[in-house]
Amino acid sequence: MLSADGRNGAARRELNTRLGGLTVTIAYAVLIAWLFSHQPQTVAQITGGLAATIGGYRIDEQAFTDGLRFFRNDQFVEARLALGRADPALRDARTQFYVAYSYYRQGWGRLYHDDSLYAEGLKAVDRAVALTPDGRLSIDDGDLRIHTADELRAELEAGRRHDGSDLNPMRIFRERK
Amino acid sequence: MTGAGREAIVLPLTFLTVLLLGSVRVAETTVLAPPSVFALVLGLLFIRIVVQSGTLAPQRLLASSRSTLANANGLAALIGLWLAAAQVIAVLIPDSGLPRIVCGLLLLILLANTAAADPDRTRLLRSLTVTFGALFLLKFVVLAQLSAPGGGRLNRILQTLLEGMTLGTLLQPSQHAVTGYLALATIVLFLVALVLLPMRSVQTTGGALVRNDRESRE
Repeated sequence: MLSADGRNGAARRELNTRLGGLTVTIAYAVLIAWLFSHQPQTVAQITGGLAATIGGYRIDEQAFTDGLRFFRNDQFVEARLALGRADPALRDARTQFYVAYSYYRQGWGRLYHDDSLYAEGLKAVDRAVALTPDGRLSIDDGDLRIHTADELRAELEAGRRHDGSDLNPMRIFRERK
Repeated sequence: MTGAGREAIVLPLTFLTVLLLGSVRVAETTVLAPPSVFALVLGLLFIRIVVQSGTLAPQRLLASSRSTLANANGLAALIGLWLAAAQVIAVLIPDSGLPRIVCGLLLLILLANTAAADPDRTRLLRSLTVTFGALFLLKFVVLAQLSAPGGGRLNRILQTLLEGMTLGTLLQPSQHAVTGYLALATIVLFLVALVLLPMRSVQTTGGALVRNDRESRE
């Protein structure tokens, strides 16, 4: 025969178990839903993405500065490596904008543009736009001639399009932005 | 583990783990694929069979006599069972082509046939183990071997012949071997979780075990 205290203790333990179980189940289900919707490819993307949802994600500023320096020296591959280190979870819009810009500049040519690099640039600019709350992204950088994600996207799309303007001989006088 | 612990923690978390593990497809890129609509519908049919066989007694998870919190735990376990069942079905159906259609149809017929046969808990669990095992071997051993890139000259000739004869509808997109291991772990975990479900009570009459509902029907 259980005493009243024993019964109360057992009931409290059961209540705690049920409440704890429900909380953990809901948290786990939310995590799985997040994984399905974001499709992370690396552990860094998982941890960075989860940190970003609670506003705790920070890029590596030193790596970002290195990336910018390489970018301005037209060392685009090196720039992307450094920017990748700065933002391993691909959760920072500004960094992804510079990644997209590096693809644009590397793929740009007077006679033709590199379609595969432009395609990667489009992916990066789409990532950058997706990371902004209202879809607007503007970068205040005097060294750039394109300051918004919309302009950069338009430039990349125009570069991948094949039409009559490709035959215009005046295109060799165009300048890289 | 108490009944409350199993119902509130073990079952929902196991089913959600089945959902997550079963979603991993490792190829050139890793994709987490949620169950398709067809798999979710088959999952509902699966729950009907599990309840019908007495493997799950739904009144032990959801009932007006239980507290709201206990019912919430029961509902989480039931939803988890549905999603996990759908995910296991999605894992077992090949990814593309004719095998996808045939296996989907085969699973639908097998589940409908199982429902019509009205097996008890033990027979259902045995039947599911055989069905899941056979479909696993078909997808992750037979079709995976036929579709595996590279290999010897004979393998490539066989692949070309098969591709020609079936108009490219037989061969599957290649997957990393780890996908097969994950699928096997998913299926085993799901079968273990099925055993842990609160089953319909049985009573002893004259030395024989008789299920309550079957006794009343007969």
